[in-house]
Amino acid sequence: MICAGIDAGSRTIKVVLLDAGNSRVLASGIADQGIEQNDLALGLLGRLLDEQGLRRGDLRRVVATGYGRKLIDAADERITEITCHGRGVRHLLPETRSVVDIGGQDSKILRLNGDGNVADFVMNDRCAAGTGRFLEVVATRLGVRLSLLGELASRSRRPAAISSMCVVFAETEIIGLLASGTSPEDIAAGVQRAIASRVASMAGASLATPIAFTGGVALVPGMDRALESALGKPVAIAPDPQTTGALGAALLAAQRRPESR
Amino acid sequence: MNRPARRITLEAWGRRYDELCAAGLCEPDYGGPLARHVDDGDLRLCKLAMDDSAAALRLWNFLLTEDDRLRRARAGGARIVGTMKDLGTVPVMAYSLDDVVAFYPDGAWWIPCVMERTAGLLEIADSLGIDDSFCPVRAMLGAFVNEAHFPIPDLLTCSVGATCDDLSAIAQRLEALGHPVVWWEIPHRRRPDAGEDAVRLPGRFVAPRRQVDFVRRQLEGVAAALADLAGQSLDDERLAAGIRRANRVRRLLDELRQLAFTAAACPLPALEMLIAEMLAIHFCSDPNESIAVLEALLGEVRRRVAAGVGILPAEAVRVFWVNPVADLRVMNLLEDAGGRVCGTEYLFCHALDPIPDDLAPMEALAQMALADPMVGSPADRASRICADARRFGAEAVVISRIPGASHCAMEGAVLGAAVRQRLGIPVVEIEVPPISDAVEPALRTRLEALIETAKDHGSR
Repeated sequence: MICAGIDAGSRTIKVVLLDAGNSRVLASGIADQGIEQNDLALGLLGRLLDEQGLRRGDLRRVVATGYGRKLIDAADERITEITCHGRGVRHLLPETRSVVDIGGQDSKILRLNGDGNVADFVMNDRCAAGTGRFLEVVATRLGVRLSLLGELASRSRRPAAISSMCVVFAETEIIGLLASGTSPEDIAAGVQRAIASRVASMAGASLATPIAFTGGVALVPGMDRALESALGKPVAIAPDPQTTGALGAALLAAQRRPESR
Repeated sequence: MNRPARRITLEAWGRRYDELCAAGLCEPDYGGPLARHVDDGDLRLCKLAMDDSAAALRLWNFLLTEDDRLRRARAGGARIVGTMKDLGTVPVMAYSLDDVVAFYPDGAWWIPCVMERTAGLLEIADSLGIDDSFCPVRAMLGAFVNEAHFPIPDLLTCSVGATCDDLSAIAQRLEALGHPVVWWEIPHRRRPDAGEDAVRLPGRFVAPRRQVDFVRRQLEGVAAALADLAGQSLDDERLAAGIRRANRVRRLLDELRQLAFTAAACPLPALEMLIAEMLAIHFCSDPNESIAVLEALLGEVRRRVAAGVGILPAEAVRVFWVNPVADLRVMNLLEDAGGRVCGTEYLFCHALDPIPDDLAPMEALAQMALADPMVGSPADRASRICADARRFGAEAVVISRIPGASHCAMEGAVLGAAVRQRLGIPVVEIEVPPISDAVEPALRTRLEALIETAKDHGSR
């Protein structure tokens, strides 16, 4: 029996196909998000099914999550990314007690209880402060690809102080820093530090360990170290951190009773 | 009564109104179909789900005709008092006098939501230098300028001191525009020092005697201004009668809350409960009609509870809600997400407590004013929230934030931490702008996640 999880995030769509019998991931894929979210998700799902020699009729159940979950027609159920990320991390790193997820448009912190269920969570404000979008803007302003931002930051000798987390204000600050001769390396490192500091402040006084790091921003080299430094605790990047939510959705789909499809 | 209770759209309310009329609906003079308010500009009604009872119809019509009521009162010779930054004290004094009508100009903060910003009130405030870094209550300034939403009061009062900084600034701007204000001061409520004479206030707080005495003297100044306006003496006998009437409103609300929040099946939507609770602080410009409206609502709720009729699925998660929302639609959103409100602290929980009637009236009112959750520490407020959330069996807490509002900018973290520590239930903090359409997916995610988490948490 095959189940699918679709994470319709703000920047990308992620799909995971799961063998419900043994919770083994059969395939996963990522596509850029766009206006026709449903079509994009169906296209990605169809491609993964084709690659596995499967048909839509082979799917027992589909759970959609993420910002655009309501728009996914193929979903039998829609569950928030909070629950799905928690479920995905619980599967991958069962000892985890806290999850830091930094995605394209939001960041969140989940506290997991002893059973691995979400006990509580906090999310950032509605603006893109401290998110992947923020890093994209910074990368564009510094003239580097997002994938190279971490490498750039790693060459910093003195990370710049970035005081604003608002995308618009921070861009203005970066222009000012560049004009004053601050190196792109120091700006990139300063931005990483600022994001990590914001997440730490969102986490509050205590964040139980082990801590898992998920979301696309976890793939940016150096972000995990910046986070560890801000939190004062070790942080482990989850395997395939971008697809944790989709994996959780697929696992939740597998958990539901088959007759409910 | 076996008819199912439902939340219905404005369009469905049109048909429902016809049904009720055919069944012999008796309405007060402000009655009528709800859709007529849309013609007056209250566009947000088109996006709300509302309770389908005749009692709810009366509540909505009462709320949305306050301006007519105030203008009729003026035409009839009544003196009008605008009681700014006052959550349930000066209106009790004002309504103790004959031919005096009080209202709450700060209530204009909901107009940008209800009229979907078509009234231009925020833009007027912008033009006067009160921009969106201030609380949406700045809409009040626009309403004073365009005079389209309430008549200009004959007397304006405003508390200052340990209250909202934004409102103080806005009221000062208002005074500079030529609207004189009778200011009265309320100190930050503090715990009595060791050996200091103390007073136990309604709502379980304690304050030094000297603070209560100070507030009483401040209120005596307001009473003198009201008496001058009315040409009557505001003596203890009149005040005691006014307090008795206010307490009638409060007791009705207490019973309504108790029934609605504890019933197995939720008998009344969060939206109607919010509006009903607001009657405690300003009576919607008519205390006697407030009593009639609440009695009708309570009657409906009693019938539904007795019949086991609810407007939401029985498994709805019990959520305690902190702070009022700028966009009423969000109360619907919680219910759409699978929650039900089972307890509230809309910043005026003290106005839901009975005013002590065994004290001298001015002393009782001073104590009530000092029991305002906004004039004490967030820790005091957190204590009451935790106690009430526990009493009503809350499974989760929503702390709503008002963009730009100085009184709740930082408080959410304190309240959230207290709830997590003392009650061990999930909490979410949300920010709700006057029109939340653009952020609805984000708000929906937070509320749905809270419901999912609470369900997992309680292993329901």
